[in-house]
Formats: sequence, structure tokens, C-alpha cells
Amino acid sequence: MKHAFLAALAATAATAFPVWAVERGEVLDTYADIAHAAYSDSLQAARKLKEAVDALIATPSPETLQAAREAWIRARVPYQQTEVFRFGNPIVDDWEGRVNAWPLDEGLIDYVEMGGESDENPFAGLNVIAHPVFTLSGREVDATRITPELLRETLHEADGIEANVATGYHAIEFLLWGQDLNGHAPGAGSRPWTDYARGDDCTHGNCDRRAAYLSVVTDLLVEDLEWMASQWEEGAAARVAVTADESAGLRAMLTGMGSLSYGELAGERMRLGLMLNDPEEEHDCFSDNTHNSHYYDGLGIANVYLGDYVRIDGTRVSGPSLAELVASQDPTLDIGMRQSLMETMMALGRIKSAAEAGLAYDQMLERGNAGGERLVMDGVEALIAQTRWIERVVAALDLGDVTIEGSDSLDNPGAVFQ
Amino acid sequence: MKHLIILAVTILCALPARAGVDDVLERHILPGLSRFAQAAERLDAAARADCRAAALREPFHAAFDAWLPVGDIRLGPSEQAALSIAFWPDPKGHGRRVLDRMIAGQDPVVHDPTAYATVSIAGRGLFALELLLFDPALSDHGADDFACALVRAVAGDLRAQAAGLETAWRVEFAPLLRNAGAPDNPVYLDEAEALRAIYTQILSSLEFTADQRIGRPLGSLDRPRSGRAEAWRSGRSLRNVLIATRGAHALATALADGPLPDSYAALARVEEAASRIVDPAFQDITDPQAWLRLEILQQRVRDLRAAIEAGIGSRLGLSAGFNSQDGD
Repeated sequence: MKHAFLAALAATAATAFPVWAVERGEVLDTYADIAHAAYSDSLQAARKLKEAVDALIATPSPETLQAAREAWIRARVPYQQTEVFRFGNPIVDDWEGRVNAWPLDEGLIDYVEMGGESDENPFAGLNVIAHPVFTLSGREVDATRITPELLRETLHEADGIEANVATGYHAIEFLLWGQDLNGHAPGAGSRPWTDYARGDDCTHGNCDRRAAYLSVVTDLLVEDLEWMASQWEEGAAARVAVTADESAGLRAMLTGMGSLSYGELAGERMRLGLMLNDPEEEHDCFSDNTHNSHYYDGLGIANVYLGDYVRIDGTRVSGPSLAELVASQDPTLDIGMRQSLMETMMALGRIKSAAEAGLAYDQMLERGNAGGERLVMDGVEALIAQTRWIERVVAALDLGDVTIEGSDSLDNPGAVFQ
Repeated sequence: MKHLIILAVTILCALPARAGVDDVLERHILPGLSRFAQAAERLDAAARADCRAAALREPFHAAFDAWLPVGDIRLGPSEQAALSIAFWPDPKGHGRRVLDRMIAGQDPVVHDPTAYATVSIAGRGLFALELLLFDPALSDHGADDFACALVRAVAGDLRAQAAGLETAWRVEFAPLLRNAGAPDNPVYLDEAEALRAIYTQILSSLEFTADQRIGRPLGSLDRPRSGRAEAWRSGRSLRNVLIATRGAHALATALADGPLPDSYAALARVEEAASRIVDPAFQDITDPQAWLRLEILQQRVRDLRAAIEAGIGSRLGLSAGFNSQDGD
């Protein structure tokens, strides 16, 4: 039935909109243009976040804290749409861990009520904000000044443990919201603005060090995004890497779409969190913004296929698309792919609308919440179905194996010897 | 539609596709699931008779042994079940936390076999049982302790999961693989897709063994992480590597249309490297010699993967699809 329906749709589409042959090179140009625009938007939004953070530090108040949180939420909209550039582009993969690493043992950074030291991470309760001097892997570290080097070189992934996340969006999120101690009940983290107050008003101690940390970590985010946006400019490395070899470029596009859909979003971020019934197993666990995180990840995947991105100023970046390329070869396949992307966006949209109506994502994960489970699993299933369509596109374009996102050791067996 | 037909024809010329899928199901997956269901049943029966750790270690090992040949398959109903039957790795220590919480709160869910299925996956399956049977702090329970009831609940739930998984494959999913390309098949639009799906499982299983089962504890020569070895508490780390690797190889053999001599040789080299490992729980890898032996085993598993890729993938024109472990 479905096939007949799709075939009919395809036939309609083919008569209604004559499909012009597009060149693979043009499709890759659009892809790089979208990457450039989305990273540039992320940069712009991060700069606004930095302004809001500066205002919070200069004049701590409920209003300035709230404004900083809102700036963070806005900054996530373009950034999440760039996640689809991961997995297929080594330049992005080598860099991404500094910017959006998750999950994190936040006790590394500041005070926590739950968590702290764990089997695998002796530094999960380090709390650098409260400890100007500490020992790390037998070496004394002087952290009296909170510097970019301290966060980036010493603390981030300290002792080779990925949960030691000292930089990026989620570190900033933790510093703005604090731990979400509501479990499966409504409510996000509720760090008081007085955590940034001066003198006697300061709560939880070390407000000056906390402010210094927040300022430095936000500067680093801006710096990292500046670098990535520049990589996609005309003639720059990331753009050259995808446009130099057309098959490799298309494979990068589809690998990013498929790996983000399946292993990362459907698996690690959605199904696993749901099955753990753990309210902290959500991607934006401090701010309760996970529904948006997933939604804009999904939209990013659709953007790449459709060759279309809406910028944060409302203008559009669009051009010859992968969709057109596929349609010129096999209209039925294109219709199937589009329909599947649309079903995913509907499913992620239902999670978003339920969350915005008051059922936060962490509430959906609760043991025995059948409605929440259904919402999340519909998203998971739609993403898995979408992955099968992406595989069909890979096969139809004759691109060979999709690159499997691997560890250093897999890509470079010599690396384990170092 | 046209390209689908062309693709299907290409594959059909290369090998009797349906035979490959049938062989995989009949020779490997379905009997494997059935053996696991029987082993889980025996474990459950043993737990009902005596839920103390000493009485259950042997049937636990038998159930784990039966799981591994089919445990790395992440297709259809296994996609979800593999997580609740064998939740690993668990870098954040969810398992211990969930069990501690249930024990501290004497969670009444342990008395309701159906409701236990709603518990966090960290409190279910083989790795929860491993903690309850082998961890010094959790395994020392008497017959009347709450932890004993918890062991019974986990074992009963595992039995139900194993039976449910076998049924789901036999009734729902195996027919979808067999009838790839049928007009009412929403999952596999042609036979090549079914073959690709299985082929992907073989490669990703070997990759999981090399990168996770071996790679996680291996860490680096100057920073080995023996505490990250899979099932080290029950001393099964090496056993898991071997059974999973043999399972992947058996799947490849069933899928192939002819002999795969290179892959047999590669498997023999895996076995040979494994025979040199001294501590089956990989806890000796702080010794550089032991570390190197484990590193060689990892390389042999990767060599086997390459041999299978060359032997089946290239010959049949199959490329791997996306892998459930692709995330970061």
C-alpha cells in the first residue's frame, strides 16, 4: 500500500514540479553554505550570551540571571542545527568535544548536592570553584587564577575521562541553572542569582571565582565558534574537505545525517535516557531544554537534505539540494526520504509541544509514565525509520560504506602506542 | 522503483540472497535466542529454589554464555532488549546506584514480576545480577534478606525478557527479514536491505568487541583502566570477548554463500592471542606485558573484521549501514 501511495505521490510530484538535474558540486556548495551560516549564527548568538553573562557578573540580580538564561536558550537554536555536521567531518569531530560535550560530571566545576566521586571518575567531586589548589593525577595544580588554559588544557577531559567536561554549552548551562534537584517533578535547576553576588550576599561561597569561571568559559565558547565558522568560508579547510571530492563530500553529508539520527539521537540521547528512567539522562538536564535540543537536531538533519536553513535573522540560505539530486535519479526515493524526515519532525514536535505545555522532558522519562514514554519512543522510531531511508539514499548514490564514526584507535591503529 | 529492482537483481546474481537471510535466522539467530531463553529459565528456576549468590553463579554464567552469541545484534526487538538484558558500559555507575536505592527503600516493585519491567535498565538484566552475585558489598545476602527477593525479581524479569525476545523475533521480526521486498513490508524494501542489515551487525559486533570490550580497559599503556573491563567482577571479560567474536563469525558464515577460509584463519589467530591472556578479568593490565597481550588480541579482532569485510562485503557488493553505536 505504502509503495503504491509513494509511487502515486512521486508521479504527482514529477508532473507538478519538473525536477532539473543538479550537479553534485552545487549540492555540496549549499551544504557548506548552510554550515557556514549556522556556525556564524551560533557565533553571533554566543556573543549575545557573553554580553548577558557580562551584565550578570557586573550587576547580579534575578533579572540579569534570567536574561543570561534566555540568551543561552536562544544560542542553542542555531547550534543544535549544526550537530548534523558532526560525524562526517573530521574537522568538526576533532573540535566538538570542547563545545558540546555531554554528559558531564558537573561536580568537577562547582558545588553539587548529588553526584560527586564515582567509580570511574575520581574528579567528579573536584569543585574547582571552591578549590584554588588541588591535586590532579598526582600533580598539584594552581588554579588561583581561572584561565582559559586551566579550563581547556588542565580540567577538560582531565585524566582522559570524558565526563570531565570543563568547557562548552553544558558547563555554561550548569553555571546558569545549577543542578536540577526536582527529580521527575516539574522544574529545572534553580541556582540563585546570589551565587554571583558580591560580599556578604554571596551564596554557596566563591562567587568571584564562579563569575570568573563563567566569564572565561563563555569567552572560550565564542572563540571556538569563531574558529569553526571561519573553517567554512570560501577556500577554508572544512569547505575544501567536502568540496574537493564529490563522493566523499556526499558521504560526509549522509554520514552526519545517519549517525546523528540513529546512534546519537535515537540511541544515546533518547532511548537510553528513557530506559534508565533517570531525570539527569537528558541532554540539557540543568535547563530542561532537552525538547528543543532534540527538535533542532532533527531540523538540522532535514536542513541538510532539503538544502535550506532559516537564519536567526529570519533570512534563508538555500540552494541546489541533496533532495533534488536524489529526485533526479529516483523520485520515489526522494518522496520516501522527505516523508520520513517530516514524520520525525512531527514526532519531535509533539515532544516539544508537550514540554512547552508543562510536561518537561525529564518527567517523560519517569518510571511508569506511559504517555511520556510513547512520546519519546515515537521520536526514536521515527529517527530509526529515517536512518533506513538515509541508507537507501547512500546506496542509490552509490557512495559505498558510510564512514563509521570511530575512535582514534580504529582510524589509526598505531595511535594506541603513541 | 526502478533502482530498487536493479539493485535487487544485482544482489540476486551475486548470491542466493534469501538463502543467506534464512540461514542466518535458522542456523544462528533463532536457535541462539532459544538457547538463551532456556538458560534464563534455568537461572530463574534456580533463583526460586535458592536466591543466595553461591547457588546462582553457575546458572548465571550459563545464561551469560547463551546471551553473547546473539547479544550484539541490534535489530528489531533486540534494539531495545539488548539494553535491558545487558546494560553495559555503565560509566556513571547507574547499576549500583539503582540497586542501592531499591535495597535502601525496600522497593515493593520486587514483588510484582510484571511491574519489574518498568524499572531502570540499570537495575535489570545480566549486569544487575552480576553486581548482586559477585560484588562483595551486594552479594552477601541471606535467604530472608530483601536483596534475595531482588535477585529473584531480576532473574524472573530476565526469564520473561528472554522469552519475550525469542517470541518477538519468531513472530514479528524474522518474517520481516525473510519477506524483504514484499509489498506489505515497511522495513526492508528489498532483499539487499535485509542482507545489509545483518552484515552491519557482524561488523559492528566485532567493532564493539575491539573498541569497547577490549578498548575500554586497555586505555593507554601508561593509563590502563582495568576497572572498565566488561563483567570483570564475575571474571568473564575474556570469555565475553571470545564468545561474542565467535558469534559474529558464525553469523558471517551463515550469511556467506561459500566458504570464508581467510576468516577462519583470522578467527584462529584471535583464539591464539586469547590463549596468551593470563587474567580472564583483564585486571593484570597494569603490567605492560599483559597490556601488550590484550592489545594484540584487540588487533586480532580487528583483523577478523577486515577479513570478513573482504570475504563477504566486497565479494557480494555489500556496504555496512549505520551502526547503533555510532554516537559518541
